[in-house]
Amino acid sequence: MSTIKSFDQLEKTREKLRAAVKKDLPSVLICFGTGCQANGARDVAKAFEEEIGKQGLSVNVTIGLKTTGCHGYCENGPLVVVRPQDILYLRVKPKDVVEIVEKTIKGGEVIDRLIYKDVNTKEAIAQYHSIPFYSYQKRIALRNIGNIDPTSIEDYIIQDGYKGLAKALAMEPEAIIKEVEASGLRGRGGGGFPAGRKWRSCVAVKSDVRYVICNGDEGDPGAFMDRSIMEGDPHSVIEGMIIGGYAVGAHQGYIYVRDEYPLAVKNLQSALVAAREMGFLGKNILGSKFDFDIKISRGGGAFVCGESSALMRSLEGKVGEPRAKYIRSVEKGLYDKPSVLNNVETWNNVPMIIMNGSSWYAGFGTEKSKGTKVFSLVGKVNNTGLVEVPMGITIRDLVEKIGGGVLGGKAFKAVQTGGPSGGCIPKDLADLPIDFDSLTKAGSMMGSGGIIVMDENTCMVDVAKYFIGFLVEESCGKCTPCRDGLPRMHGILNDITEGKGKESDIDTLMELCDVLSYGALCGLGTSAANPVLSTLRYFKDEYIAHIRDKKCPAGVCKALITYRIDPKACTGCMLCAKKCPSECITGEKKQPHVIDESKCIRCGVCKDVCNFNAVNII
Amino acid sequence: MEKIAVTINGRICEGIRDQSVLSLAMENGIYIPALCYHPEVASSGGSCRVCLVEAHQGGSMRIVTSCNYPVREGLEIKTDTELVKKIRKGILELLMARVPDSDVIREMAAKDGITETRFFKDEEADSRGKCIACSVCTLVCEEVVGVCAISMLNRSREKSPGTPYHKASNACIGCGACAYACPTGAISMVDTGDKRIIWDKEFRMVKCSVCGAPYIPEAQVDWIVKTTGKDRSFFDKCPSHR
Repeated sequence: MSTIKSFDQLEKTREKLRAAVKKDLPSVLICFGTGCQANGARDVAKAFEEEIGKQGLSVNVTIGLKTTGCHGYCENGPLVVVRPQDILYLRVKPKDVVEIVEKTIKGGEVIDRLIYKDVNTKEAIAQYHSIPFYSYQKRIALRNIGNIDPTSIEDYIIQDGYKGLAKALAMEPEAIIKEVEASGLRGRGGGGFPAGRKWRSCVAVKSDVRYVICNGDEGDPGAFMDRSIMEGDPHSVIEGMIIGGYAVGAHQGYIYVRDEYPLAVKNLQSALVAAREMGFLGKNILGSKFDFDIKISRGGGAFVCGESSALMRSLEGKVGEPRAKYIRSVEKGLYDKPSVLNNVETWNNVPMIIMNGSSWYAGFGTEKSKGTKVFSLVGKVNNTGLVEVPMGITIRDLVEKIGGGVLGGKAFKAVQTGGPSGGCIPKDLADLPIDFDSLTKAGSMMGSGGIIVMDENTCMVDVAKYFIGFLVEESCGKCTPCRDGLPRMHGILNDITEGKGKESDIDTLMELCDVLSYGALCGLGTSAANPVLSTLRYFKDEYIAHIRDKKCPAGVCKALITYRIDPKACTGCMLCAKKCPSECITGEKKQPHVIDESKCIRCGVCKDVCNFNAVNII
Repeated sequence: MEKIAVTINGRICEGIRDQSVLSLAMENGIYIPALCYHPEVASSGGSCRVCLVEAHQGGSMRIVTSCNYPVREGLEIKTDTELVKKIRKGILELLMARVPDSDVIREMAAKDGITETRFFKDEEADSRGKCIACSVCTLVCEEVVGVCAISMLNRSREKSPGTPYHKASNACIGCGACAYACPTGAISMVDTGDKRIIWDKEFRMVKCSVCGAPYIPEAQVDWIVKTTGKDRSFFDKCPSHR
């Protein structure tokens, strides 16, 4: 492809590329996200190539074969979509390929074995967009992921790629900022700060040099929305950053990606090369006289580097530690220059807002949280994965409609949102709309969009202990409340789960929560008390049961539970005795068995294997 | 320099825009406990959190560290409200649990009427001595001395200053600025005769030609000569005999 030097030339190129696409061609899309690749998508792609060749069909002539970014439904990967019928096949193995080519591609027939089956209704659904997991979604940020080959800039251009940029470059920078402000776009990285206002404050500071930065240091356990965007649609992030750079007067951008995301780094790198070759980056972009380029910087694996001031220090080559933000980074950021830092998903929304207009974007979501949000829905839920929904969807709809309800028909107890320093929201608040302000009011936060569903067998003290434990290890250690307060908090929680809790522990925990919330240096520290605060707010009775009655109501904390076999229900099948790793179950064949509690290690294997529900936790 | 009026505990204090609340309080004889802030080290502060105060401006209040919070016209500071005392008590107790042997911390806490901590001493307490991981030592080394011989290593509760791989560092000039700046006296510097040992490295000391007292490491003289162009003979005599 040659360099595109004007807006007209971009449109002509787009038309030419579109014309070259054979619409009636059957096509096979194979998900090449990290999850599907780990599940063997590469072998599936190879098998398709071989089979298509063997059958004398030829790729790109009679069949389009394309590897794409992540479709989000990772637990069922590798995913294969067959078009034009729009059939989604799950967990495809190389041995299924012959049948798919033969029956579906050539014969138009659906292979029942490979399609989606609803766990609740038992209904089998073949069409991608009819599956509840997808049908309730509204994909703006994930618009291209799964449809395009992330390594092909042509694919991106066909899907209106760089159209927003061309429109932006014909506008005044001020008009772009106004448009982003009017869209109501708020930072997707956690804080929810209005993006337009951030850009405006950066422009207000006098400086010759400014920077725009993309935060791709996604570190919350279970969150992978940014990874998916960087891997599956890298140009959308790049385009957003060029628009941002033009709006605030920056000529250099940085993408900070965590090094544990090799595919994201690879796809971003090749996208940058392609964008440079075609003239979207570099000097005089699309003939607009605007110069801009982007560098990738790889993070070293510190959770704290997702915090903006620590990220900027790390970009400068220093130890990633946060600093006080009494002077904000829009005034003094990277290399002490005014800097705009936004998250991957925020940048990725920008081209759509410019292309379709702020009122289009503001048409989605709630009054104060506009647009859509990508969530990683995980935990005890039937359908897990990456989902994008309009802001304001209720917790119930997310869990039941898209998630297909709680796994194994168990009772829904709570959702944990916002990553490790988010909070738990109980089932009583299931009709709470998910937006920035409602979540904060409920004692949790949007964070980067992690949603962990918890069932009745989840102990909330144990959950708080888990997240505080994560934060203990990931605290950068710069300030006293976070570095020394979190380990004390963890110690107290540990005592409580081991039955060594004291009545005064709850007050001490509350006090430590205040020390963190008021006293810590950065956002990570000030929000780190949320797991304890929110569980104390909604599940205080569980803490009291652990401390006063020495009981774990959910049956999780090993020191507080006893496994016992119900002699009436036990059939004497001997399975539990056979599986018990500490050999503490005895009993004659066809006679009720007994657990020796002094030897029992409370691993729960007996309960898991019992076919007669005879093992109880008391 | 723009002069402005700031209220601290109800008293009007005249300060310069952007100076720190702590420095203004000190100029006016108002006590705010502080550990990690050093007036000679520009980027020090903000880490121990002992100097927290309430900052009221434009109808809103937030808890800030006085050592690096810039003063602005109309700012109202309160250093001893119930909230400030409660948070500071928590922080001081955490520091007491972290470095039980530190007399500096114990005395500072005693001023607030705190004599014991509710929090447990962790297993690393003995090996870390009196260090509160405030980074002043590494900042002095980097910003004032300019050698970067030490930096903060590891993270979370294991964070501590040290030389690369805890090996004697070629960069260290033995000047001891880190030890002088440390608020809790956590850095070991032993001078015996014409030798100094610091950060596991031995330095030969230059003796004053007048009084004969060893007063500066040779490596430090080399560094000053190299970086400032000062004549080596200048260091023949100690400061009292120049």
